[in-house]
Amino acid sequence: MVTPVIRTVDLRSDTVTKPTESMRSAMANAEVDDDVLGSDPTAVLLEREVAEIAGKEAAMFVPSGTMGNLISVLVHCDERGSEVILGDDSHIHIYENGGVSSLGGVHPRTVKNEGDGTMEISSIEAAVRSPKGDLHYPVTKLICLENTQANCGGRCLPIEYIDKVGELAKKHGLKLHIDGARIFNASVALGVPVKRIVQAADSVSICLSKGIGAPVGSVIVGSRKFITKARWLRKTLGGGMRQIGVLCAAALVALRENVAKLEDDHKKAKILAEGLNRIERLKVNVAAVETNIIYVDLPEDPKFGAEDACKSLEVLGVLVIPQTTFRIRIVLHHQISDSDLEYVLSCFEKLSSSVPEEKV
Amino acid sequence: MVVRSVDLRSDTVTRPTDAMREAMASAEVDDDILGYDPTARHLEEEMAKMMGKEAALFVPSGTMANLICVMVHCDVRGSEVILGDNSHIHVYENGGISTIGGVHPKTIKNEEDGTMDLGAIEAAIRDPKGITFYPSTRLICLENTHANSGGRCLSAEYTDRVGEIAKRHGLKLHIDGARLFNASIALGVPVHRLVEAADSVSVCLSKGLGAPVGTVIVGSSSFIEKAKTLRKTLGGGMRQIGVLCAAALVALQENLPKLQFDHKKAKLLAEGLNQMKGIRINVAAVETNMIFMDTEDGSRLTAEKLRKCLTECGILVLPGNSSRIRMVVHHQITTSDVHYTLSCLQQAVQMIQEPSLS
Repeated sequence: MVTPVIRTVDLRSDTVTKPTESMRSAMANAEVDDDVLGSDPTAVLLEREVAEIAGKEAAMFVPSGTMGNLISVLVHCDERGSEVILGDDSHIHIYENGGVSSLGGVHPRTVKNEGDGTMEISSIEAAVRSPKGDLHYPVTKLICLENTQANCGGRCLPIEYIDKVGELAKKHGLKLHIDGARIFNASVALGVPVKRIVQAADSVSICLSKGIGAPVGSVIVGSRKFITKARWLRKTLGGGMRQIGVLCAAALVALRENVAKLEDDHKKAKILAEGLNRIERLKVNVAAVETNIIYVDLPEDPKFGAEDACKSLEVLGVLVIPQTTFRIRIVLHHQISDSDLEYVLSCFEKLSSSVPEEKV
Repeated sequence: MVVRSVDLRSDTVTRPTDAMREAMASAEVDDDILGYDPTARHLEEEMAKMMGKEAALFVPSGTMANLICVMVHCDVRGSEVILGDNSHIHVYENGGISTIGGVHPKTIKNEEDGTMDLGAIEAAIRDPKGITFYPSTRLICLENTHANSGGRCLSAEYTDRVGEIAKRHGLKLHIDGARLFNASIALGVPVHRLVEAADSVSVCLSKGLGAPVGTVIVGSSSFIEKAKTLRKTLGGGMRQIGVLCAAALVALQENLPKLQFDHKKAKLLAEGLNQMKGIRINVAAVETNMIFMDTEDGSRLTAEKLRKCLTECGILVLPGNSSRIRMVVHHQITTSDVHYTLSCLQQAVQMIQEPSLS
């Protein structure tokens, strides 16, 4: 009897992307220097390039998206007693260890994230604390948006929406930060340049290590003044690294080679979403699949939830994440092939036969 | 005129070697957050073993390493840490343990040799009966080698005695071992013996060992588990870090044995400087790779003038105070660079002190 060779298809996140040959070569040959005592020349190149892409004055490389967001929130909210308005399902609020509060002393005020990743404009406005300085209130300093919005399924915030939130922020003397971990995905999906999408924002954090596939890092962009303060805070948090040109060289390759591939990731996500939705007992909101993230819903039977499903899929070599009790998350990236898609569909078909019938 | 470049600002300026670049290019990697990066794991296991501790964790910098260690040990609100008034954590880490971590520092005078008086440490420990007014002492921090004292080594015996004080009072002991390997080589004592009394240690890879980035924290398994979460919270959780860890593994293999030569070069430099009129230097205090030289009063020399002359010769040092210059030797400084530095300084000293002769 022949034992089937199990392949591994890693759909847990677009962070799993490994450096390509051209990245490895760039890393090996990178021109470097001490970025704390002075500046690393390759980091300077990267920062200039990303600032230009985002249409902002300056940029700064940081080890992670978490640090990118933490620094941005803390710089905008640099007064004791500050409050930030953000989505109740935002990455900053859910997956960043509450760092803005525990490390930064900033208070969060959440507003419900709608299915499409936005927050109702009127709800945002209602959450802004009165400037009359009531004895009971913190002071609202900042609004944060997330584009694409991950927990809502990689949804794109339209430019008009972002502009409106920007106007609201200005009206109330607030700053606007965009968690743009997957901003390139939004840009490709909307067919709009990054700099137009983030025009209204005072700062943006942009991941290099997700869909565009660099091994490490994010970049924060903003005004020169903002970035100067951000640099100090980066050092304080311990993010000041020395010869980072090694990592920045890979990121420059990523920007050059992998942004164009994101469109393919979106196409593959759509194909996979449609295929999964056709499988009995599985449900996918195909219209909501705008970029590279898919949510698959299982029938709500406590005997077989998302965790069980993920375990069964793991045995077949397909790695996915249980998002909620009955929801599985799938993330596409450029190191997933068309043949991987077919394999994944066949595994989900196998899975579906072990999923209980939906109770009527 | 081609001026050579001799960078004595710090041992952090070291650039990756060819062997490191090759290792980085071919490193086996994976997502260190979703799972673990295999090269990072290899490095962490190696470091834990070397230090004689249960576990280890790679972090982007020494600052983050110290910050994490202080915060994990002082995880209760109202904590206080005892540390040197001239320690790196207190002077050069942006006060992060307080501004970010909410921990209160209690400083003790650093003696010239980098130690703190044992009686003074013990006296600084808060009496738990004074809880109405006092924060609660949780931790003592040492620094080995002690940078601001001139790269001075703390002996194993001294460290052990501080460890005993800590234990007696239910406190933890953390060692900022950014340049621990320098101490180990200079003292001829294995690193694990130097840090035996410590609950945690931070060890730099990007200084004398010459890796491009990073530091490793070592401690107990439960300590490292907490450190991992805090690393994520601070934003130090990186993905395919095997790239950086591969270079660090090469550094441990190839550059650790070279540290003794850095010490020899530093001694050579110090002895040469000591011969110069108007320059004062405590040669005996040059134990590792750092040198502090002072200009003598009444000599017409100032640190600023000397720094300017050095720069003109292509020799880089950090700006500092009006009479003191710091130099740090590393493996990318040759003996010939040392002689070049001495001859430039000799010229400068002569020119400034006897301008009529130049």
